[in-house]
Amino acid sequence: MKEFEPVPARPAPDKTVGPLAWMKENLFSSLLNSLVTLAVMALLVYYIPPVLDWAFFSANWQGTSEDACVREGACWVFVNAWSYQFFYGTYPVEEIWRINLMLVLLALVILASFTLPKHIRLKASVIAWLVLPLVGIALLDGRLLGLPVVSTDLWGGFTLNVFMAAASIIVAFPFSFLWALGRRSNMPFIRSVSVIFIEFFRGVPVLSLFFMGSVMLPLFFAEGTNVDKLIRVWIVLIFFMSGYMAEVFRGGFAAVPSGQYEAADSIGLSYWQKIMLIILPQVIKVSLPNILATFVMLFKNTTFLLIIGIPEVVQTLQTALSNSYWLGGHALEGYLFVFLVFWSSCFSMSLLARRIERQMNTDKRD
Amino acid sequence: MRKKDILAITTLAATLTAGAASVQAATLDDVKSRGTLTCGVSTGLAGFSEKDENGKWSGLDVDVCRSVAAAVLGDADAVQYKPLTAKERFTALVSGEVDMLSRNTTWTHTRDTSLGINFAGTNFYDGASFMVMKDLGVSSALELDGANACIQAGTSTELAIADFFRQHGMSYKAVTFDTSDQTRQGFESGRCDFLTSDGSQLAALRVGLSNPANAVILPEVISKEPLGPVVRQGDDQWFNIVKWSLNAMIEAEEQGVTSANVDDKLANGNPANKRLLGGEGELGANLGLESNWAYNIVKQVGNYAESFDRNVGMDSPLKLERGLNASWKNGGIMYSQAMR
Repeated sequence: MKEFEPVPARPAPDKTVGPLAWMKENLFSSLLNSLVTLAVMALLVYYIPPVLDWAFFSANWQGTSEDACVREGACWVFVNAWSYQFFYGTYPVEEIWRINLMLVLLALVILASFTLPKHIRLKASVIAWLVLPLVGIALLDGRLLGLPVVSTDLWGGFTLNVFMAAASIIVAFPFSFLWALGRRSNMPFIRSVSVIFIEFFRGVPVLSLFFMGSVMLPLFFAEGTNVDKLIRVWIVLIFFMSGYMAEVFRGGFAAVPSGQYEAADSIGLSYWQKIMLIILPQVIKVSLPNILATFVMLFKNTTFLLIIGIPEVVQTLQTALSNSYWLGGHALEGYLFVFLVFWSSCFSMSLLARRIERQMNTDKRD
Repeated sequence: MRKKDILAITTLAATLTAGAASVQAATLDDVKSRGTLTCGVSTGLAGFSEKDENGKWSGLDVDVCRSVAAAVLGDADAVQYKPLTAKERFTALVSGEVDMLSRNTTWTHTRDTSLGINFAGTNFYDGASFMVMKDLGVSSALELDGANACIQAGTSTELAIADFFRQHGMSYKAVTFDTSDQTRQGFESGRCDFLTSDGSQLAALRVGLSNPANAVILPEVISKEPLGPVVRQGDDQWFNIVKWSLNAMIEAEEQGVTSANVDDKLANGNPANKRLLGGEGELGANLGLESNWAYNIVKQVGNYAESFDRNVGMDSPLKLERGLNASWKNGGIMYSQAMR
């Protein structure tokens, strides 16, 4: 008996596959579309070559001083010569391993908090996160570990942005959780204090908070006490962040079904057992995307520290631009560099955030 | 959890608190026991306080900090620089965060009398002035009748230039810009005939032009901006030290003492040289310092002329003329009170 042989599938007609068909379908489907496509292409052809030429082909790459910038294009020599300052500030070169070690630790803790085995992950990573700022400050300052002291006025550059953002969000985390609980409390006093705190720090621009930290706060201290400027703005950042994060957590609390609270009550758990064992894990899961978004916002806000003279990366750039040996107008190159650094770190953070979300999304798979 | 965190923050703040400098106590003792001078400088101003690629501070204002450190501690490098913005500078000084301020601060009556601070002298006489393109063929500001002016909005220069033109019965048209960078571009593209700003800023703006040699700064200075170091009120000894450290630099120039010939002058110079450098008399002891205080200043920082040339003068990219800042012996007004 002759076996049935299906006719082999024929390739799709030429008109519907391949780049030509794609272009016809997507770029030239109508007269208007064709015109728009042509106009956009003309614009690209007109503008892209000069930009590429400026940024790459006639740019200056080699050298250490402004005199090396003889060609028409961008003076990347400027960024290159100042790159150490842009990243590390004036931190002494021989102590730079401390900053690098700190960055590695930060990366390790991030990695650990979603690769450790499940049964120890939560506890281990919470402890690691809370210990990290203390270890970081001890390491960078050096006093507690018997290393040479590096005073805070030498800290600077992009790593300072990273540390200020990381250290303040980590410390703000437990605080903001408490503020959010306070806002949901039945006790009128605690509730109103929490509401006032949260709304004050959410309603005031971070710039004016920085000014208060740097200009007004010292006037309130007893004469003779002199709290470091970086510590003052760090505390300000912690307050600011805990206000914002408290609202993020409040959303998380609201998203947990009331059946969960009732179930916990019905088996006789105490208030704190209920919160820590039943509610908090669910709240964190729900709020994680918003927490990471808030962190990205805070990270970018650290550049505002420049208005009170903290040498973070943009302030360092402005200092570099006012150096009398670099007065030839390198602002464009400098700000492009800062833009690239910030964009790449924020973009990788949102990639990471998406990954964590997927991992934590255990109950509602889509 | 909350208690623990509060505790953590307070202990951290305590450990990082910079050596609790008491405002009441003598600043001199604080500086000596700390071993460094904390000096408030600008976050970046070409020629006055600027940082280089290696994080090293230099400039005319920075040299005042260095000279005080040399006089008090014998080491001009024993300075901790605190970059301050214009708004926070006086708070930082009054609250004791810095021992002194050398941050191109204009000495005005209001500041001197109402802020609890004292100006310890003038290390740069600045003032609004004019820059024109060479091919305009103008050699004096009085020839600028009817010209267009590039001005940065919201600066005190705006007022000074209006007064100047009204006083001389001339007219001008203002083209205002927001930042100094835009002002420079406006000037360079020919939007206006002259650019006006403080003399020290003009020099920096000129270096940024694509061809600095095409522009000249006119000789007229139309407003008074005496810039100088500042200390807290209520510590007269420290006030004297800062005042006379600056005077020592100026006096050294008047006497022709430089960092190169200072050893020779100490050994073989005239009585005035020896008095200044500590070979005779007790100028140092009167200030509470070592007798070689001024020797250290001149040896490690240089006299005022050396500092000026190195930072803003002919040996620097800014190429500022001495002008008003020349020694009174050379027709300027830079003058030290008598060193005896």
